[in-house]
Amino acid sequence: MPKIRLATDVGGTFTDLVFYEVDAGQAVVNGVQAVKSHTTPPNFEKGVLAAVEKAEIDEPSIEFFAHGTTVVINALTERKGVKTALITTKGFRDILEIARGNRPDFFNLLYEKPEPFIPRYLRQEVSERLTYKGKVLEPLSTDGLSNILDSFKAEGVEAIAICLLHSYANPAHEIALEQAIQDHWPEVSTVCSHQITREWREYERSNTTALCAYVRPIAVDYLTRMENELHANGFDGSFYVMQSNGGIDTLSSAKATPITMVESGPASGVLGAAALGELIGEKNIIALDIGGTTAKCSLIDNGNVEVTSQYMIEKSQLSAGYPIMTPVVDIVEIGNGGGSIAWVDEDDKMHVGPKSAGAKPGPVAYGKGGTEPTTTDANLMLARINPEYFIGGEIAADMSAVASSFDTIGKKLGLTATEAARGVVRIANHNMISTLKLVSINRGYDPRDFTMVAFGGGGAMHATALAKELSIPKVIIPAHSAVFSAWGMLMSDLRRDYVRTHPIPITNSSAAELNGIFQEMESEAEEAYRADDIDASAVRFERFVDLRYDGQEHSVRVPIPNSEIDSAEIAATLDRFQDAYEKEYTYRLEAGINLVSFHLVAYAEVERPEMAKIRPLDSLQDAVKEEREVDFDEDGIHMAKIYNRDLLGSGAAFSGPAIVEESGSSTVIFPDQTATVDDYGNIHIHLSAHD
Amino acid sequence: MNAIQAKPESPDYDPITIEIIQSSLTAITDEMFATMRKTAMSSIIYEVLDFGVAMFDADGNLASSGSGIPGFIGMLEPGVKAIMKKFGKADISEGDIYMTNMPHFGGVSHLNDVVLIMPVFVENRIVSWLANKAHWADVGGAFPGSISPDAVDIYQEGLQLPEIRIVDKGSVNQAVLDVILMNSRIPETTKGDFWAGIASMRAGERRLQTIIEKYGEPSVTYAIADYIALGESQSRRALQQLPYGEYAAIETIEDGQQLKVKITISADEFLVDLRGNPKQNNNAMNSSYDATYVDAQMMFKAIASPQTFANAGTFKPLKLITDKGSMFDAEYPAAMSVYYEVSMLIFDLMWKALAPALKDMLPAGHYSSICGTFLGGPHPETGEAQSIVEPQLGGWGACQNRDGLNALYTGYHGDTFNCPVEVTEQRNGLMVDRLALTDEEGGEGEFLGGKGINLDYRVMKDDWWLTMAYVRSEKGPWGLDGGLDGTTNYVVVEKADGSTQRYSSCTALPLQKDDVVKVVTASGGGYGDPADRPAAQVKEDVKNGYISAERALEIYGVEA
Repeated sequence: MPKIRLATDVGGTFTDLVFYEVDAGQAVVNGVQAVKSHTTPPNFEKGVLAAVEKAEIDEPSIEFFAHGTTVVINALTERKGVKTALITTKGFRDILEIARGNRPDFFNLLYEKPEPFIPRYLRQEVSERLTYKGKVLEPLSTDGLSNILDSFKAEGVEAIAICLLHSYANPAHEIALEQAIQDHWPEVSTVCSHQITREWREYERSNTTALCAYVRPIAVDYLTRMENELHANGFDGSFYVMQSNGGIDTLSSAKATPITMVESGPASGVLGAAALGELIGEKNIIALDIGGTTAKCSLIDNGNVEVTSQYMIEKSQLSAGYPIMTPVVDIVEIGNGGGSIAWVDEDDKMHVGPKSAGAKPGPVAYGKGGTEPTTTDANLMLARINPEYFIGGEIAADMSAVASSFDTIGKKLGLTATEAARGVVRIANHNMISTLKLVSINRGYDPRDFTMVAFGGGGAMHATALAKELSIPKVIIPAHSAVFSAWGMLMSDLRRDYVRTHPIPITNSSAAELNGIFQEMESEAEEAYRADDIDASAVRFERFVDLRYDGQEHSVRVPIPNSEIDSAEIAATLDRFQDAYEKEYTYRLEAGINLVSFHLVAYAEVERPEMAKIRPLDSLQDAVKEEREVDFDEDGIHMAKIYNRDLLGSGAAFSGPAIVEESGSSTVIFPDQTATVDDYGNIHIHLSAHD
Repeated sequence: MNAIQAKPESPDYDPITIEIIQSSLTAITDEMFATMRKTAMSSIIYEVLDFGVAMFDADGNLASSGSGIPGFIGMLEPGVKAIMKKFGKADISEGDIYMTNMPHFGGVSHLNDVVLIMPVFVENRIVSWLANKAHWADVGGAFPGSISPDAVDIYQEGLQLPEIRIVDKGSVNQAVLDVILMNSRIPETTKGDFWAGIASMRAGERRLQTIIEKYGEPSVTYAIADYIALGESQSRRALQQLPYGEYAAIETIEDGQQLKVKITISADEFLVDLRGNPKQNNNAMNSSYDATYVDAQMMFKAIASPQTFANAGTFKPLKLITDKGSMFDAEYPAAMSVYYEVSMLIFDLMWKALAPALKDMLPAGHYSSICGTFLGGPHPETGEAQSIVEPQLGGWGACQNRDGLNALYTGYHGDTFNCPVEVTEQRNGLMVDRLALTDEEGGEGEFLGGKGINLDYRVMKDDWWLTMAYVRSEKGPWGLDGGLDGTTNYVVVEKADGSTQRYSSCTALPLQKDDVVKVVTASGGGYGDPADRPAAQVKEDVKNGYISAERALEIYGVEA
């Protein structure tokens, strides 16, 4: 009986499922297939099971099930977590409320400071004190703890966050305090800061712990229901949960610190781009995901997905937001997607986004009452999207409404409707280019050294214009680009990030200390995997150190080999730091260098079969649906060949001006660009080399 | 203030292209800002964000700025104009970088704020200027940190850099740089911050040249002029929404001097009249005209379109009148190292004058002091000299529909971050015994003023020192519409032997091991009659410990 490997990604509107079958010899039987079902809040597991049913998959045949969920981010943004309390070091219960004191909306004297997730009366203190080296200055006293817990019980508290000062350097007091709480009140859900991260900065760590405790009972319930329903239907395979760090993890680990799932959807898209790159031999990638309301991008340097722990939610130019100090794939996001609304301000300046038409009323073309044109409407107006095949032909685009909406906006600027539509695309592209520069040029990377992998509903539509502007020589539109995040999960390994702040000056004689700490972290990782029945032999490590010049705040993360570190290796690492620093900031200093944090990535690789190839092209002519006039803005209006992506077999090669249509997405190929289709169905678009 | 170049006549530029260029101008200053923040050596730059970057048109009019602090938006223009005046276009070459820090002559604030200025050339012609200004933690002079309320003239406040060329056609003037470094108590940090400033401007120049290459210099020049004109039209439109009239306020400060302001809002002008204020002080409580103008800019922008960008056009409707030689327009060689507390006085005074008429934009008075706290001494582990420059968080006033905000930086600050306790303890070798919302009571009303903080630093080695000067140390922030006044800003030093002493200012006060510096900042003023606060809300306040049960009974008559 063939086995199924599948991944499900719960999004705002749709739940995506992608899967493939493998035979007894672990060979892939058919290509990757995808289905979509509606997302079903608040019982998201129903939508997932509906997708499984729609794909006609029997649960007992599933051997691998990867799951990405928005349950954590939803509970946070909708404030649907449980009543949560905090216990911290004496003198510091207000850290959570004081935060960092910043006011990004700085001219406005009526600024609103974000409210803490835990009110003051539920923030209590215990006597204890560590130094920054983790030395005990004052032992933990649990006198008074029972009174604190009794008051929490009386208030209906369901979860307790524990975050003590300098616990990143020594978690002993947090461990002892958690034990004391559990002894007294075993039913309460507890989370300690050191279980999530061992990085310094007490506000960020406290807030992360508070948010984790706040969502944990919700996430545990959800995952347990999901698991139970699958098992009730006979599922007996491995169940994994997508994490924000671009890896998957076991159910038990996800339940212990569910905050690590906070940004899992976008992370899996970037991971997918890296996995695709590995499959087809592309090491340097700029991943671009254009959805309905946002565009997200991330840079993959030599196969490495960058991970950061400076993630924020609800941060904007108007609000300081809330930090979440957990490893998240380094993604830069902008409020520009297919549904972004174009508008003209009081000074006759046109803007696109960040307001989005959403699903209702949606773009003007939906005919559901929208009157303000969106980026999607502009693409229809320029015939880059086929009005006859809008959303795979599901909706008849209301083109007269679209034309009149551009007419209205154009009049304000002295432009024709078509010029206004071109303007919308140019401004939307400019916004995305600024974001792409943030992850590339601004960090010292030359876009000419990269390939753009574009996905999401709007990725294929804009990628070639963006690449042209940035001199990126090649764009890849992956097969399954509309469900690419789910595809990325299928390609994921287990990944756990261990970050430990341990500030020391680093010199050639620091080898013993570095080896000692990395070995300790590796033992911890192996032990944790062993507890999940994963043998140490299956675990692979990557090591990094965060270095900075003495006196500076910002550190640069550089890799360091897994082998025993000696003084020569340290010297080489310091050189790598100097090079990386100079690359980003154009100069180097003679100052001393400090090591701030150790970073260990522990992978447990998932065995997976080789991907199946698509069949070769029969006839290019058969793949041509039609020819129509398409507006390529500065490159002119041309008759363009329109290809049906489903009929483009491997080896297909053609030139622009052309559009490749598939259900839910269109790839725009400009007049001077050429395209080929590889063995796996990905379209490669080569931009002519102007410079 | 200065004439702004008129918009070119009958432009034939595509509006979409102009829009794209204008949004790229913001990207230039954003990138300069990010570079500076990441490469600076002093925490006052990278955490406190006591720095700003800007780009200007060819004539030195502000086009776009990157700043985490509103006050820094307008602080760079006078420096660029001073350089243009001193050198003249003929003597300025590609690759030059200039430097100034003199508050009386274009430096605006105090000697610690060092301005770096770079012309941008296209075909041997200046098309734009870039500038960067950052607080250097020490520029020499009589006092550590170069700041003291007791300085009697600017010679005591550090090294003066009178509009000099520090980089000449690409070559650093090493002799001058050596002098600058030798005059700092922390030369390594100073050197790092100097190079960070240069790196930031070079990043901006690269980005600007790319835009010029792509769109052509005439389009970019037009887009800049149009952007400045746009700033002006936004301000003028906002001005028309404000209530016209005259608004005045008077305040008596700690030393008994009376301060006053009169603001006149009319259809085409926001006029701030500071005439009749005290003569310049024989200490560092002075500010330059340019610094006072910046304070007026901030208040104008706070009530006229606070959430749009600001450039030279934005401030066209603003006019400031002062008496020369007064503490708000002090003349050389007046000391002004604590100009920022003077700025807080002016800002608070204007705020107080306008608040009764603009309750939908302005809360009651906030703690209104930078509470700049300067601590230094040897690190207990390494013995290396430490120097901490830390403004403090405080309480904000309540407003017409909600309580005031707890623990936030002043209205003069912005996206400024405090230093984490865990980082302070490792980096500087102090211990922090407590960081909490203040337990002092005050600022009650129908809406409660926000809480200030208690921050207790424990000194861990002998031979440390403290310098500080806080205003609003005797009279708390003003309440509005019947709300009570808030509490005050001060420091108590608790010696190891248990004796205590309260300070509102001190210079290089010696500290020994186990002395504790207890910073207390003010809670903001209340809004409305306390009798109108619902009893249930008062009980909630008591439950949260924002007020005590006794105080609830005394002020609100509520048993909690």
